[in-house]
Amino acid sequence: MTTAAVPRTHRQKEIRRHLLLYAGMTPFLFIAVFPIYWMLITAFKQEPDLYRMGNIPFWFNLPPTLKNFETLFYQTNYGYWIVNTLTISAWVALITLVTAVPAGYALARLKLPGAENIGIAIFMTYLVPGIILFLPLSRVVASLGLQDSWWALVVVYPTFTIPFCTWLMMGFFKTVPMEMEEAARVDGCGQLSALVRVVLPVSLPGVLTSVIFAFTLSMQDFLYGLAFVAPGDQKPVPVGVPTELIRGDVFFWGSIMAAALLVGLPVAILYNFFLDKFIQGITGGVGK
Amino acid sequence: MTVLGDGAGSTTRAATQPAARGRSTRAWWHTNTGRRLTFGYLLLAPAALYVLLLVGIPFLFSLYLALSDASVGDQVSRFVGLGNFRAAWEMDTFRDALRNSIVFLVVAAIFKSVLGTSLAFLLLQNFKGKKLVRALVVIPFTLPITVSVLSWKWMYDSQFSVINWFLHKAGLIGGYGSESWPIWLGQPHLALLACIGVNVWRSFPFSAIVLLAGFTSVPTEVLDAARVDGCSFFQRFRHIVTPMIFPILIIGFLFDTVFTLSDLSVVYVLTQGGPGSATMILPMLAYQIGIQAGSLGRGSAIALMLVPLLFPALFLMLRNLKRRD
Repeated sequence: MTTAAVPRTHRQKEIRRHLLLYAGMTPFLFIAVFPIYWMLITAFKQEPDLYRMGNIPFWFNLPPTLKNFETLFYQTNYGYWIVNTLTISAWVALITLVTAVPAGYALARLKLPGAENIGIAIFMTYLVPGIILFLPLSRVVASLGLQDSWWALVVVYPTFTIPFCTWLMMGFFKTVPMEMEEAARVDGCGQLSALVRVVLPVSLPGVLTSVIFAFTLSMQDFLYGLAFVAPGDQKPVPVGVPTELIRGDVFFWGSIMAAALLVGLPVAILYNFFLDKFIQGITGGVGK
Repeated sequence: MTVLGDGAGSTTRAATQPAARGRSTRAWWHTNTGRRLTFGYLLLAPAALYVLLLVGIPFLFSLYLALSDASVGDQVSRFVGLGNFRAAWEMDTFRDALRNSIVFLVVAAIFKSVLGTSLAFLLLQNFKGKKLVRALVVIPFTLPITVSVLSWKWMYDSQFSVINWFLHKAGLIGGYGSESWPIWLGQPHLALLACIGVNVWRSFPFSAIVLLAGFTSVPTEVLDAARVDGCSFFQRFRHIVTPMIFPILIIGFLFDTVFTLSDLSVVYVLTQGGPGSATMILPMLAYQIGIQAGSLGRGSAIALMLVPLLFPALFLMLRNLKRRD
């Protein structure tokens, strides 16, 4: 009798603890997720369903529809924006990769004089806000003849992806054991081939992380896209939706939410998986 | 045998070696150290140049612009000294923007710390489904900012606001059109609050995760040792946890400060600075004057006014990173 009661009270305690924690979590979860749920349901609602405040608005009062997505693709530049966004991000990722990976390697492994300070200096540029740089950069963009084309963004976005990813790669390369390279050198590899054949393959997760960040950070920008790219068919999604679909007094909320989510959710999910790396990158790049 | 010594010592050693072996004196870049350094700087150069050309020089250029009367229309610009700063300071809108930026920063920081700390303590516990909860609760931070601002703009709609629907059903406000029906983006104080709300919503998960990273970086052995030595919970917290997580906290805090002060998207999409200049903040004003009105000099001066606000943050960050080595 008593022996059975002991585990039960323990279990009850556990259950009570869980209930308390879940109760504490609920408001946070609600606050965090509700706006996204609200977008999701709005995107699939029929127009009149959005404006009937008498009904409970959290579910479909009229059958769900894909019409908002149709409008988006057939009556706006949305198709262009998606292509622009993907192309810009791919270029930015490529530029970041060929600059930040070698730089991170050089700073972490080659015992350059002043490497630590150079690393910090490069990282600090990540913290120079775009709002200070966008006016001088508008001159740079104009003198390159890139104003009003999404190529302007391909040139400008690496100004924040390179510093961040260089810092990130520095951290990664520091965790690769030095002996591997030395062994490769003894076996007759040159410096470059030791890097390409030995260090890079084991640092593939780090390289992949850099690519993901180049992609997701590019999509976090609003200012540069807003300031440098005016033509409707040249914008990336995060700039096109708020500037082209919100105009005048009539908002097509269904289409706007559909447009925002279609690109936003995949990015959010991808970023979610790499969030710890992001936090690690900004807080412990040098320390670890 | 490779000579992987340090700096000058190995250079001289490497320089004497070939002389001993043969007559040919090898150039410096043929020595092992020389090769390593040349290789290193070559690898570093593209990134360093990119950043120098497109961040360093534009930053200096913005100082120059701020001191000139440069505008989009004409290529020639005159040096006007501190004229732009003086003119900005005399604008009422500028003062509103400065005040709103500071209010925005401080109020948002208070809410973020409270929400972030509570969430971090909750996530520190072990419970079933923790991973899922964490993944869901960080979505506001991982969603591209303009996407979430759009969602909030719809939730703040003057007539079909879902927030008002809640409040109305809860009996806290009257129906649409009544005195107590809040028009979130149309009433000055509410509008600023609404903008701050979006910033807090986006960033509190970040505060929580940074704090959590700090907590978990404290080794449990140290805490156990302190407990054995008879330290109370608060003593342990004050003398061990706080100093150990402080550097991480500072970095997280500074990141957030830089983001909050310089973010344009929330205000641009929600209110464009209105009604009047109730939600005007420095980035919005710099954008309006620099791009929309084409006055590069004046716009740069306004954007640079952020520097005194950011400077303490950047200084602390730099010191923090250096001390870590």
